Amino acid sequence: MSDAVLVIGGGIAGIQASLDLADMGKHVYLVEKSPSIGGRMAQLDKTFPTNDCSICILAPKMADCYDHSNTTILTYSEVKEITGSAGDFTVTVLKKARYVDAKKCTGCGECTEKCPAKAPDLFNMGLGTRKAAYLYFLQAVPRVALIDREYCIRMTKGLTKDGKPRCGVCKDVCQAGAIDFDQQDEEITLNVGAIIIATGFDPYDPTSLTEYGYRRYKNVVTAMEYERLICASGPTGGHLKRLSADGRDPKTIAFIQCVGSRDLHHNKYCASVCCMHSTKEAILANEHDPEIHSYIFYIDIRASGKGFQNYVARAEKEYNVTYIRSRVAEIAQDAGENPVIWYEDTNSRQVKSMTVDLVVLATCMVPRTDAVGLAAITHTALDEYKFFQTSPLAPVDTTIPGIFACGYCQGPMDIPESVAQASAAAARAAEIVS
Amino acid sequence: MSLEDIIQETKTFYCLDCGKCTGLCPVSRYNPAYSPRVMLENALFGFQDDLTYNHDLFSCLTCYACSSKCPGDVDYPLFIQKARALALDAGQHGDCAHSGTVQSLARLMSNPGVSQNRLEWLSDGLRISTQSDTMFFVGCAPYFEHIFDFDSGAIDAVKASLKILNHCGIEPVVLPNERCCGHDMLWTGDVETFRRLAEHNAAIIKEAGVKKIIFSCPEGYRTFKEDYPKYVDINCELQHISEFLADRIAENGLDFSEVKRKVTYHDPCRLGRHLGIYEQPRKVIAALPGIELVEMEHNKEESLCCGTSAFVNCDSCSKQIRVDRLLEAKATGADTLITSCPKCQIHFRCAMTNKGEEKGPDVEIEVMDLVNLVANALGDGHNE
Repeated sequence: MSDAVLVIGGGIAGIQASLDLADMGKHVYLVEKSPSIGGRMAQLDKTFPTNDCSICILAPKMADCYDHSNTTILTYSEVKEITGSAGDFTVTVLKKARYVDAKKCTGCGECTEKCPAKAPDLFNMGLGTRKAAYLYFLQAVPRVALIDREYCIRMTKGLTKDGKPRCGVCKDVCQAGAIDFDQQDEEITLNVGAIIIATGFDPYDPTSLTEYGYRRYKNVVTAMEYERLICASGPTGGHLKRLSADGRDPKTIAFIQCVGSRDLHHNKYCASVCCMHSTKEAILANEHDPEIHSYIFYIDIRASGKGFQNYVARAEKEYNVTYIRSRVAEIAQDAGENPVIWYEDTNSRQVKSMTVDLVVLATCMVPRTDAVGLAAITHTALDEYKFFQTSPLAPVDTTIPGIFACGYCQGPMDIPESVAQASAAAARAAEIVS
Repeated sequence: MSLEDIIQETKTFYCLDCGKCTGLCPVSRYNPAYSPRVMLENALFGFQDDLTYNHDLFSCLTCYACSSKCPGDVDYPLFIQKARALALDAGQHGDCAHSGTVQSLARLMSNPGVSQNRLEWLSDGLRISTQSDTMFFVGCAPYFEHIFDFDSGAIDAVKASLKILNHCGIEPVVLPNERCCGHDMLWTGDVETFRRLAEHNAAIIKEAGVKKIIFSCPEGYRTFKEDYPKYVDINCELQHISEFLADRIAENGLDFSEVKRKVTYHDPCRLGRHLGIYEQPRKVIAALPGIELVEMEHNKEESLCCGTSAFVNCDSCSKQIRVDRLLEAKATGADTLITSCPKCQIHFRCAMTNKGEEKGPDVEIEVMDLVNLVANALGDGHNE
């Protein structure tokens, strides 16, 4: 028997569940695949319907979670195997080598500054590049650099003719002596009594909706890309710009709802948060530049949470946002790389076209691709959409006793609901390990 | 079939009323009165008269631009096909183009007593047989040759297809008593005539004892593949000639002479969105040495229709769709617009005659069937 709990996934749900359990005096192992905890919420600019800065309200929780005496945070790590049953699970975790000694690194950024190798910046949704030696993002927790083995010159290019490594700049400049090219991946075995799955979502790739021209047209972006573009810590420093070579400030923006959701050819379900996040994104655009006029193309506005309907009404009245009832049919492009939207205005029954400066696709949110692997490891059942299966009167219980699921990995929901579920999952787990 | 049955069969009740169909519809862009969404809305409300007495019921191109992207997966073209049968029962029919000649010919052919002089075009050393396992379905091309006052190119495509098959060592069965496949009858609501044509064709094909049928017309191909099984038993392998060619090229290659052309390819709705065949014609074009293939803005799944189907309600809206498509083709810088449907070819060639217009935009571009492009590159020698 063990009185520790494993939490898989370090987004807002995983962080909240860990904090609750740690505060109850239980030991928590939080395993996160990426180099920092924070998850999707760390990538958002603001949250609805309060327009709070997302990272500003998240960062204190990240720090509390990391610094708590009852937590062990394993970032850049993945769960490989789970055996046993409720009260006594044995977990094998692969902790990948960062090539940086976490105890010595001060997170000063000197290695990143001098590293000559570039890689796509995944935290910024691939908009722009980062270095091979890097911090995952500005407010990363733990604040420990790492070296990307797929892009590091030293690790990919081999030795020179006279047997010397081709690069080592990071090691040369690190005053803490934290760079360690000899570091190896390690396997860690944990013994826990309960497990909480909080692996969140991936944005649905809209490339297969060929009528919307994503990837074909530079000024058609996804909502997650837009969040990074308008965020002060994003690739443009928060200056909202078009991605075409002109880099112009957009004055008209179209938000397209239900991209790949509520669609039998893609995902049947409603992703639940897009009506609100598009409203938020349109409000933010207008706050950045009062000349911006946004159009939100919707089928139904699903503003069914606390304060949501009022938020939509304010967007219309105060922030130059127009709602148009139509599922956009097609996006073309004019000679100036401006997206041209074709749609039927279902209220006036007219087919119209509208030329805008920027299009934002509210893509569906789908369970992370590795949910299937994790379900196999944990023997838990997934539903038809690959969300972890739960039941109405046990909404955080998976099909395996002692294993719980919270947040978007078990169904569409927003941040407050994910947090509430995380606390519920923590309470359920605590019953087992008490 | 009642309106209720049609709604059930085409899953119209899945409609989200979102308007994606209408936004994608090539007709709705030029004819503001026409909205597939409103058509379905009327059906769901049970307003049958608003459907059957609506002249625009026959304006639908049945091109599947709507349904291929419909989030509710409603089969709108099938809905239209069935609703037209209801309309016909109520004495309503669309405006038949070319004085109704095409429809009249189809109805004439449905009479079992009619004998046709169907093979007069057969010449130029093209070889057919009565013994082969493989049949070539000619379709309406011999009639098209005499209906239009411009060169339709339809019979040339049939000759080119035979030349290709002969070159590949196939002397196909070509039946002298073949009838119209019935496509236009089915899609204008005349199910009875369609059934008679299908039964006649099924009987003569059974008698010929062939195992495989090759088509150069995508409408005949679609009709045999998707619609005949609901009425008759054909029991043959069916293939479009672009599929046949793509297979041949992949297996052992064909010896082509150089083709110095820059071409763009127009996907016919029947071959493309109806049957999902996008890659084979492109593979065939790519196999021709020296050729350059450039894509139009709307291609493959997003390809635009040639503007009319079943020779009904061909109007200024159809003309505008055609002109736009030709302008798209010209914008690629291609010198030739390739298609693989005799009707697409007819409609584009018709649009270029600029009938009824004083001076339209310059839409002149050479329009050619894929089989002509290929046959020309095969040279004169026939493989024995």
